[in-house]
Amino acid sequence: MKKLFKEQKFIVLIVAIVLYVIFALLSKEFRRYTTIIQMLDFAYYVVLMAIGVTFPLITGGVDLSIGTGMICYALVGGFMIRNYHWPVVLAMLLSVLFGLVIGILNGTLVSVMGLPPFLATLCTCMITRGLGTLLVNKQAVPWPTNKVPEGWFHSIFKLTIGRATKIPTGLIPIAIIVIIMMFVLNHTRVGRYTIAIGSNREATRLSGVNVRIYHIAAYAICGLFAGLASIAYAAATPTVQPGTGAGLELDAIGAAIVGGVSAAGGVGSIEGTVIGVLFIQILKIGLPFIGLEANWQQIILGLILIGAVLVDVIKKRKEAAL
Amino acid sequence: MGEVILEMKEIDKSFPGVHALDHVSFDVKCGEVHALMGENGAGKSTLMKVLTGIYSKDSGSIIFDGKEIEFHSTREAQEAGIVIVHQELNMIGDLTVAQNIFIGREPKKGFRIDDKKMIEDSKALFDRLKIHIDPTEKMSELTVGKQQMCEIAKAISHNAKVIIFDEPSAALTEKEIEDLFAIIRDLRSQNLGIVYISHRMDEIKVITDRVSVMRDGTYVGTLITEDCTKEDIINMMVGRVIYEKPKEKSLVAKDAPVVLKVEHLNAGHMVQDISFELKKGEILGFSGLMGAGRTETARAIFGADPKQSGEIYINGKKVEINSPEDAVKNGIGYLSEDRRRYGVVVQKTIIENSTLACLEDYTNGAVINKGKEKEITEKFIKEMDTKTPSSDQLVMNLSGGNQQKVVITKWLVKNCDILIFDEPTRGIDVGAKSEIYKLMNALTAEGKSIIMISSEMNEILRMSDRIIVMCEGKKTGEIAIEEATQELIMDKATRDIVA
Amino acid sequence: MKKKILATLLSVAMVATLVAGCGETAEAPAPAPAEEAPAADEAAPAEDAPAADEAAPAEEAAPAEAQANPDTNDKLVGTPFEGVTANDAYNFAMDVKSFQSTYWQAAVQGMEMAAAELGVTYDAHGPNSESDIADQVNMINADINAKPAGIGLAACDTTAVLDSLQAAKDAGIPVVCFDTGVANAPDGSVVATVATDNTAAGAVAAEEMYAALKDTIANASAPVRIGEVNQDATALNIQQRGLGFINKMTELIKADGKSVAVVGNEFYVNACDDKGDEKTADVIIEVAVPAQTTVELSTTEASSILSKDDVIGIFGSNQVTAEGLLAADDNLGKLGSDVAAGDVIGAGFDAGSVIKAAVESGQLYGAVTQSPLMMGYYAIYALTKAANGDTVADYPTGGYWYNAATMNDAEIAPNLYD
Repeated sequence: MKKLFKEQKFIVLIVAIVLYVIFALLSKEFRRYTTIIQMLDFAYYVVLMAIGVTFPLITGGVDLSIGTGMICYALVGGFMIRNYHWPVVLAMLLSVLFGLVIGILNGTLVSVMGLPPFLATLCTCMITRGLGTLLVNKQAVPWPTNKVPEGWFHSIFKLTIGRATKIPTGLIPIAIIVIIMMFVLNHTRVGRYTIAIGSNREATRLSGVNVRIYHIAAYAICGLFAGLASIAYAAATPTVQPGTGAGLELDAIGAAIVGGVSAAGGVGSIEGTVIGVLFIQILKIGLPFIGLEANWQQIILGLILIGAVLVDVIKKRKEAAL
Repeated sequence: MGEVILEMKEIDKSFPGVHALDHVSFDVKCGEVHALMGENGAGKSTLMKVLTGIYSKDSGSIIFDGKEIEFHSTREAQEAGIVIVHQELNMIGDLTVAQNIFIGREPKKGFRIDDKKMIEDSKALFDRLKIHIDPTEKMSELTVGKQQMCEIAKAISHNAKVIIFDEPSAALTEKEIEDLFAIIRDLRSQNLGIVYISHRMDEIKVITDRVSVMRDGTYVGTLITEDCTKEDIINMMVGRVIYEKPKEKSLVAKDAPVVLKVEHLNAGHMVQDISFELKKGEILGFSGLMGAGRTETARAIFGADPKQSGEIYINGKKVEINSPEDAVKNGIGYLSEDRRRYGVVVQKTIIENSTLACLEDYTNGAVINKGKEKEITEKFIKEMDTKTPSSDQLVMNLSGGNQQKVVITKWLVKNCDILIFDEPTRGIDVGAKSEIYKLMNALTAEGKSIIMISSEMNEILRMSDRIIVMCEGKKTGEIAIEEATQELIMDKATRDIVA
Repeated sequence: MKKKILATLLSVAMVATLVAGCGETAEAPAPAPAEEAPAADEAAPAEDAPAADEAAPAEEAAPAEAQANPDTNDKLVGTPFEGVTANDAYNFAMDVKSFQSTYWQAAVQGMEMAAAELGVTYDAHGPNSESDIADQVNMINADINAKPAGIGLAACDTTAVLDSLQAAKDAGIPVVCFDTGVANAPDGSVVATVATDNTAAGAVAAEEMYAALKDTIANASAPVRIGEVNQDATALNIQQRGLGFINKMTELIKADGKSVAVVGNEFYVNACDDKGDEKTADVIIEVAVPAQTTVELSTTEASSILSKDDVIGIFGSNQVTAEGLLAADDNLGKLGSDVAAGDVIGAGFDAGSVIKAAVESGQLYGAVTQSPLMMGYYAIYALTKAANGDTVADYPTGGYWYNAATMNDAEIAPNLYD
């Protein structure tokens, strides 16, 4: 029990709750159910991206392409629905597959070609950004709205009954995914090797583990989740705008780090990442409600991230001193 | 021997849950070499860290040059004249020798670094040490021994009055150690106080004047080196006699089957046309100087580095080994010389390290069977007498010897029949060393075969059934243990250099 | 002082648009929206004369055009571009703000049409996002180096392009600004501006919204709130729209004897005509600007206003913010067209399938549309004329209010791109 209180994710959870209470006290609009619903709308894709990026982060790398990538996959999926009348399921599948392919590409660049993850994924970030815009002919792409039958996929995340009765159905699939990924990270070979690679890639290789494949796998998982996130994004926003997405990855990476993933690799958890997302979303959605100007929100987020990374660094230093 | 320059009195230091130093006293006189001994975890390093300001002491006093002092950083200690030469070298490979020596306090000429003065000063330092190193050479181009000399040069450049050597010989060859001793004797004659931390008994006898022994955070006693025997010191350290004599004859039957045969192995210029056989139940020693190509040979066999040509046969069957994965599949396990970097994942638990090589045997489908993992790990912890509070312990919290046991556990869990031990006892204290030796003998008795690379002549002579000597990437000798002597091995190990 | 200059600029610009609206009204097959007619009357005398001057040279060229292009071209009749032909197969560089929204795609369509008619060519460039100010400046500079016959520019940031405009002038390349004017352009660099009069367009939204809310405001016992979400506080057209809405709304409310206060984003609060006093005001106009031009952040800003109890109306001043409004309302369910039933009146700007659907269903009370297609179209004509060596005057295009009832009108429908 005492150990629990020392864990970063637990402290962050407490801070998130305190933050929520403060915002709720300051703004009566913030305490409303609709605000929670809206917060969830924009939390689903961040949480999916964040779960994905937790894997490369644990290997000691990073994936900067998830933000623009997510937009790219959402654009392509929506484009096929709109211009070629693909069934929505097929478009969703395409988006996820596209994400997986970019993830594998990232993994190959990092693991096989030996590019620094920062650089490799910065390149794919630019590529996906340009590619998305080109593939859809530079047009903004709306996915079907929740008012037409093809918009059924909105109900995965939010069920609308009548005019404005909203049920956050998305909590169920997200909870299932979180549980699955917790299991993957803690109880499967992929997860174990992801952590081992992040702690000591060479020792892992010399133990006879095919580190190349498992290193690629970490990025592939990340890409796959960026693909899943693109569906959640399409459900949350009216249209997908080409050229956007840069910066969205920072919310996800920030959430993972706030949630206790070590910036140096080897340490991290899915539940910590989810708590990190919760924290960042409360902050992001809450600050406008207490009347803080938009640019201050970004400054505050940046400062909090510095704080989270510092905690990690100090912890490492203490470990090294012992 | 002159007056006392440094005196540490009743130093006490606790960390959460550990009483690291229990009222320890220690002193150094001008013009003496004072050995500080003790098993790993005895508190030597902690004591030195308290002295040089890395840790603050809880109580006690430090009197240096007649004044009571307390440092808050190594820099303060350096400025006062107490310098530590670490076991791990803290040199920056891409900078030159002179740049490394004067890093952080470069002589200035206006706004510019005065390179000329820096190089001249470095030369003067080397002259004082009577060694020849070009100050403009890049640090990464020097041998480990030369790098160590640079560390010493850096230390005396601080006008040190007390120099602490923390296991300086661990990575050095015999010849380099001799050079080091010459320098230490020279420094002693210049009236400096020297603290010498080492595990090597032979060195203690040769170089030191007094020996102080610590055990479990307490001070045990001080002896005059001349008046005591190795056994006396070891008894103080561990409380029992453990020193063993060289092996007299091979225990391997003449007709034992060959488990590993390597033919004409080539991998870079460090591995040239290496051929040898390893028999079942044998410990095959690989001897040679630092940089002879022994580790490179082992890594090439294990698939860790690419090889250009050569064949490997296991139990008479030719195998393709292009990656560690292939090697492990063929039952070869490799214990790296650099345990922390290549051997264990220190931030992870014993369990996670133990099953790292064969996780597939502990998974049902994709799911890891954690119960089974724990069971096998705890079985080996017991068998090998690994000292740990639990199998969930992070490896970084274990001592060097116990970490090594975790690496061995990893390969035993995988059930490897051929084990390559690369410097298995480096940085491990005397007590744990003999346990590793015992373990190796037990393994060969079970029918496993071991290739042991070692730079310690004693270890080679004591453990091997047969000895292969390498020099500059080539095999220069193969000696049966019955015929092996230090002189013979040394002769073969330096054959090419002499010629 | 700044405010005064701005006010002067705005009034000049306003007058200019209305003239244009008037000109179009005269020749267009369908009648102009009713609310524009009276305004046009006021302005007509002031600006009729130069328009006539412009028309003269065009008529001279008319016969040649008629031969080249036997179909009579409705879009050009009565404009300064009637009868313009290209003296050469010019190539123009067209720098749009981005290809982020379908809006710009419509503008490019217009360019395509005009280019085909005139036998000229163009290359359209645009950064990935409207916030990529530096990227656009680089593109413009690259265009200048390529020495096209003229450059059409929709500036992302009206101050960042000033050096480039000077460079274009020095290189002797005429620049026609479209969609967004550049207020402080170096003298002689911008030969003409083809743009929606954004101040008037914002005002149209205010007028329509006030008409719907008039009774609510008059009968309110407690202060009520009208929100506005603007994409940024840097682009001139967004500034003008935002302020046009605020100032018109303030004017209308005050005319009925109620007091107004403007709160929120500092730029808009300081730039509006009268920011009032929040403590005593009957109506509070709250302005929000997201940190970045994403739908997500626009949504958050919109919902922080929309979720307040005293909100009676809200305006999103471009496509992204209007969509943000709709996304916020998706959870809140407050917007509608039935004021009596307590619906919050929402007004949008521009089109796109999402906004169109919302107007059609009555979720949005209505929206203002510009004519990006015509702006692109006229920009090519203005450039051709400038490349011919003729003088070109600014040409404001109209902004139209549309709602569920009028969106299929022949006058409106062509501008409502998907």
